[in-house]
Order: sequence, then C-alpha cells, then structure tokens
Amino acid sequence: MAGIDVGGGHGGKRATNHEIPLIPFIDFLLCLVAFLLVTAVWSQMARINADARVPGPPKDEPPEEVKKEKQLNVEMKDTKFVLIWKEGNTVVSTIDVEKKAVPVGNEGDIRYPDLAKKIVDEWNQNGSHRGDLRDDKKTDQAVLHSDNSTPFAEVVAVIDAIYTPKRDCSVCGPNQKKIPGLNVTFSVN
Amino acid sequence: MSEKPLSRFHQPIAVPGRRLLHHVPLKFVRKKVSGGGARSVNQEIPLIPFIDFLLCIVCFLLASFSASGELPVDKNVKLPNAENVMDMTDAPMVAITGTQILVDGTPAGNTRAIVEANRLQRVDELFNVLKNKRELWKQLNPGKEFSGIVVLQVDRKVEALVVKSVFQTAAFAGYPNVSFMVGRLGAQGG
Repeated sequence: MAGIDVGGGHGGKRATNHEIPLIPFIDFLLCLVAFLLVTAVWSQMARINADARVPGPPKDEPPEEVKKEKQLNVEMKDTKFVLIWKEGNTVVSTIDVEKKAVPVGNEGDIRYPDLAKKIVDEWNQNGSHRGDLRDDKKTDQAVLHSDNSTPFAEVVAVIDAIYTPKRDCSVCGPNQKKIPGLNVTFSVN
Repeated sequence: MSEKPLSRFHQPIAVPGRRLLHHVPLKFVRKKVSGGGARSVNQEIPLIPFIDFLLCIVCFLLASFSASGELPVDKNVKLPNAENVMDMTDAPMVAITGTQILVDGTPAGNTRAIVEANRLQRVDELFNVLKNKRELWKQLNPGKEFSGIVVLQVDRKVEALVVKSVFQTAAFAGYPNVSFMVGRLGAQGG
C-alpha cells in the first residue's frame, strides 16, 4: 500500500508517517468510470447548415443600400451541374461540370468530387470573402437549384461539395479552426 | 542450575554461518537477512499501475463526455452522410419520416398535401408548432437573442420538394438557420 515515510519515528515522538487511503480513491474512480460509461454518447451525428434568407421584422429607417455581390448558383441537371456566378441579375460566368457520382460506403451515399474541386477553384478565383472570419464577417452565398423530385441524399451530396472550400476562423473556438467559405440556400420558384 | 551459554565469540570454536547484517537492531531486517523461515505468502497488489489505468480511462471518458445527451434519431429515418459537417447543437428537431412530420417527437402535420399538390407550400401545423416554440423560448429567455436554429432529420429518400417546403415553413416560423442532421463521413471538416 502507498504511504508517506519521512523516516525517524524514534525517541517517543508521534509518528509522522502516513498511509494514503488508496482503496476509497479506487472506489471513487471506479464509480466515476461507471457513470461516464453509462452516460457516454457514441453517436456520430453532425449537421450541415443551410440558410433561409428571409426579411427581418420591419424597421422605421429605410434599408441601407447593399452592394450587390457575386453569388454562386449551382444548378442540378440530369447529366451535369451548371455553376453560374451572378452579380444581381447579371451573369458573370457559367461553367458546366459533368455529373459524376462516386459511391461512398455501404449505405448508398454518393459524393461529387469533381464538383467539389471545381467549386473550390471557382471560389478561390471569384469569392469575395475568403479571409479570416474575424476580419470579414460576411460569407459568400451559394444558391442551390434542384428539381422537386431529387432525393434528399443527392441534395446533401451537392451541399457537401459546396461546403468543401474552407476559410480560417480564429474566433470560432478551439474545435473549429476552419469554416465553409460558402453559405448554402435553396432557390424557390 | 544451568549455566548461561557462551557467546559464539567466546566459544572455543565459532559456529560457521551467516554474519552479514545480523547485528542490525531491527527485527524485520534480521528476519530478512537470516534466511531462515518459510517464504512469505503475502503479496503486494500493484495498485499504482491500476490507478494510472483508471485515471487514463476517466480522462478519455471525460474528454468524450457530452453534456447535451443522446440525440433522439427516429428509427424510421435513414440519414445521409456528409464530410464537411458541423457539431450538433441543441435546437428543435423536425423529423420527416415517410409522410409524417414530427417536432421533437410530437406529430406536426404530414407531407401528403405537398406531394399531391406537387408545388412548394407551407405546412400550417408545423408552422404553428414552431411558432409556439419560438414564442415560448422568448418568454422563458427575455432579453436574450434568439438563435433561430432548427435541425431537420430527413430520410435520404425524401424528395427535395418536401425538404424545401419544410425548410421554407421553418423560415417563416422564425427559424432561418436550418441545419440538416447527417452522419459524419470520414475526416471532420469545418
């Protein structure tokens, strides 16, 4: 058993040696382990963000003039994706990307690596807000145009590809050094 | 009357035997070095490595501890997986299972009307439930800023039309920050 031995103990003085009570300490640790094991969450769930840009509550002062920024429109067609950079209603550039789905895992998930690569290139060339979030609070917008009958798994695969480009975020805490460079919203006819 | 035996130094012939450390005035030392007696059957249990092991387990479990608890995922919903994901957050959970819509496990409308109409439309029941939740939150947290986050649990086979309708309904009800619950695939991104 563990103890503290300071030597001496002769001459009728009170002994200064002490035994450390390890058994209660071990009991405590075992209780702690049992509690933590019971309450442990082994779930691997996460979320993928989207933004519904709706007007806020009406204000008395007139809305300030906002400079129109470039938006990346991603259109999902049957055989291809069309990436369109728009500034307001003006089309700046249009790029076609072949729709090549790559299956991932055994659950029927798909990825679009070609689309992700092209979006990264495009964002590096045309993105307006690529710096650290601390210096630039705004985020580039991406608008996803999908057919009504598209399965949700495909929509998520495209959103995942849109979120591939990353920008620094030194104000997002220690667990999140990088955040997506684009913010996705859906188009509505 | 018996005579006291002479010590071995005074005996004419010294008895051979172990001498080293026999004069140390400690009983346990004498016992150890004398070499006599049976082997001790007492055993020390190595507690220190055991405590080290327990401490490692505790540290690991504390590091992976989640105070938010287990996420209630509907068994009928098969979620898609994604790579560029964020950590989950505490927010109202809207599940779309087949034709039913659930808010935190409570039925809040169905998607049949959307599919039949084949056009984007607001789900009134869901809208009312979410709006009530928002107002309740504001009453319970006066002065605090409302985050407007809602998490959608959508089955991978659900059509985009239904997703967009629910998305729009949530936005109209005051939840513009809509997140989709997904499984974590591969390395974690942002």
